[in-house]
Amino acid sequence: MDPQLTSIIVPSEEIAQIEECLARLVEDTGSDYALLLDKSGQVISSKGDGDRQDITALGALIAGVFASSREVAKLLRERDFRASFQQGVRENIFIALIEEQWILCIIFNKGTHIGLVKVLTKKATDELAAVLERVRQQHKARDEVLGSAFRTSMEDTIDLLFRD
Amino acid sequence: MALINVAAREIHCKIVYYGPGMCGKTTNLQYIHSQVPKEVKGDLLSIATETERTLFFDFLPLDLGKVRGFQTRFHLYTVPGQVLYERTRVAVLNGADGVVFVADSHKGKMQENINSLRELAQNITRQNKRFADFPIVLQYNKRDLPPDVLAPVAMMDHFLGVNKMNWPRIEAIATKGVGVFETLRAISRVVISKL
Repeated sequence: MDPQLTSIIVPSEEIAQIEECLARLVEDTGSDYALLLDKSGQVISSKGDGDRQDITALGALIAGVFASSREVAKLLRERDFRASFQQGVRENIFIALIEEQWILCIIFNKGTHIGLVKVLTKKATDELAAVLERVRQQHKARDEVLGSAFRTSMEDTIDLLFRD
Repeated sequence: MALINVAAREIHCKIVYYGPGMCGKTTNLQYIHSQVPKEVKGDLLSIATETERTLFFDFLPLDLGKVRGFQTRFHLYTVPGQVLYERTRVAVLNGADGVVFVADSHKGKMQENINSLRELAQNITRQNKRFADFPIVLQYNKRDLPPDVLAPVAMMDHFLGVNKMNWPRIEAIATKGVGVFETLRAISRVVISKL
């Protein structure tokens, strides 16, 4: 496949819907944080209490955990592990896969019951799957974003920042 | 698989440093981390064993700032090089936009280089991407090895198929930073041209 076809462009409208869905999930479950990642570890959107400075590293690690568990699944001849749960003393993390491409992650404390998180996450993943499918279908905005002027500016920036 | 967030006006790209064990992938990231301005880099995250060998990956986020109104971020990863961790490499390679293949210039490591490059080709193909079109830059590291064990560049070109594939190739001494940024510039340019 042409690598060009693998860039994902998430338009404003879809981002708004994703943010709304994540905000609702955080509120309804009483969780601390919810984030949506793509499987390479890039954070598409996140919602929750306060500003987390470590969100980028968190995204990379969670995607790593999930990619690693996918390989474990293959070795066990399991199609995929759709969800995983990590239990801490104070904080817990529930991670669910959406359509093989995306990862939904919810961080919550002991005040929230895991059962509630599971049920509402299932609802949210269905909703997000529909939004993300629309994102996957659309390629039209690429040329507006990545014109030749952008590429030239980008090359100048690279030369400026990554010099010996 | 670059991610372009139109609402937040952000572009994210993932670049993976691949290669056999002890070839200098982590050293590349450490040098970049030590040299780029504070406002550009995030923390260098390493998941390593007690003996400092990479167990899962190293991760370095770089924020290039605004380019034509778009906040542009490059995420650099390394894979663990040891043969044992083949499946881990598959996991880290997931969704990569480009790969820097770091080859060891020691004559005795040529077979390991070839095996690692073959494995990379397989793993890229398994992601349903055409290996021939995939953004790749080669780095011949450790060019400061003693002449009796140093593989000539022409020999490495021959064994790694550089001429046939038309990959950019850079000679480097990562411990001293020689060629490290040249490599990063080269892969960044290729990745951007294929977005």
